[in-house]
Amino acid sequence: MTSTAVQTREGALILDSHKLSWHYDRVAAWEAGERIAPVSVDMSLTRACSAMCSFCYAMMQESQARSSIKESHALNLLDDFAEMGIRSVSLVSDGESTISKAYVPFIQHAAKLGINIGNATNAWEWEPEKIEAVLPHITWLRFTVAAGRPESYAKIMYKGPEHTQVFDRAMSHIRYAVELKRKKNLGVTLGIQMVLMPDLKDEILPFAKLGLDLGVDYAVIKHCSDDEQGTLGIDYSQYEALHPLLEQAESMSNEQTKVIVKWSKIKEGDKPTYQRFYGPQFLLQISGSGLVAPSGMFFNARYSKLHIGNFTEERMKDIWKSDRYWRVMNYLASPHFNAQTMMGTLPIQHYVSVALDNHLKGIQRIQPGTGEKPLHVNFL
Amino acid sequence: MDSAKHYADVPTPAPGAAWTALNGRQRVDQVKNKLEASPTQFLSQIEVVTAKADGQVIVRMKQSLPASQRGPFLLDLEDYLREIDQALVVWLEPLGDKNSLRNLRGIEVKA
Repeated sequence: MTSTAVQTREGALILDSHKLSWHYDRVAAWEAGERIAPVSVDMSLTRACSAMCSFCYAMMQESQARSSIKESHALNLLDDFAEMGIRSVSLVSDGESTISKAYVPFIQHAAKLGINIGNATNAWEWEPEKIEAVLPHITWLRFTVAAGRPESYAKIMYKGPEHTQVFDRAMSHIRYAVELKRKKNLGVTLGIQMVLMPDLKDEILPFAKLGLDLGVDYAVIKHCSDDEQGTLGIDYSQYEALHPLLEQAESMSNEQTKVIVKWSKIKEGDKPTYQRFYGPQFLLQISGSGLVAPSGMFFNARYSKLHIGNFTEERMKDIWKSDRYWRVMNYLASPHFNAQTMMGTLPIQHYVSVALDNHLKGIQRIQPGTGEKPLHVNFL
Repeated sequence: MDSAKHYADVPTPAPGAAWTALNGRQRVDQVKNKLEASPTQFLSQIEVVTAKADGQVIVRMKQSLPASQRGPFLLDLEDYLREIDQALVVWLEPLGDKNSLRNLRGIEVKA
């Protein structure tokens, strides 16, 4: 896997690879056997969401108990992240963080601490007041847009095709953000994302067109993850037939908006090349239930042996320093764990895990980054 | 990271013939018998649901434990059961989504 980048007006954008080369200090420390802090954390401030997307992996991420994340928990968490040396936080994970009361203070506090913030949202509850409060402090914003046509969007993300008001609301908020970015010359990158299930092929081109119409910086199309039991029923063999349409969508890119397909994930299918799972040591996930587990793949109660703690019950820095944190990380790096059979497909740590596995096997060694840094360098 | 380097290419152990030759009931009994002999009293905390030929042992917790305790407890359990066969792995029964809206999709998490 190479660090392929798409050139945008604002710099090199890497969405279909990793940026470990730019965090070579952590790679070297990890290889030397040190207990490293993650470069990045992906998390949510709640498990709740007002959407009901048909592709949503959160349906498979229920842990044993949910805790309510209060503002004080969230701000303490950021203080601990800063102390640990975590460089970025993406608010994605298993809930819609914009509906949490901690959302705005969390982002503003992260900015004060110098921690970069990214955020994925459906933008339904992301009104102008909230947008103005957070947009100047965010590195990237990615809007979940399941389809380019209102009826399809409402069918996939909500109760049915007649509920197009959710589409209208989201588009209104996205357009507001695009305009605010332009007006204030903000550095934030704005993108929309379609999670492609094989039966949604007719939505590919309308989605790309919508991206151009909105004037966002990119419109990305990615695979759909499934658990190892096949709960969502994704047939990965069907993606290949979509390649011509995906290429056509990419060719619609213009100067302002790049249409990007996450080819490496779409082509990877349902079985990774790696057996050991090193990625979580660099890119940790935390549930909107407060649960700290190595990856969102393990939030469900099924994987309770890999549950490390809950940051609403104890400080994150203490969880990270604990023997149980490292016991779990070492377990995932041991022969007892096999990523090909014991977890769902294509986790958020996929690119990093492939790179680290190739690095250790000598297939492709990670090299220190040189030259101009890509956009969002602190997000792996 | 010497140990991890060592393990990157190491195959995950597969259950031995002694385990795979048993039927489902016999495998569950073997696990229960082993746990009854344990000084840790694992059975006061869990019930054995199934024990599959591929080495997966599915258990149910009798009462919820905090996240800080259930991970170490279950890893200890798994370590102990590996005295039966090196390939045994412990999982809990999966939980379905508690989000009422998303539940309208009718997705049931497979065990």
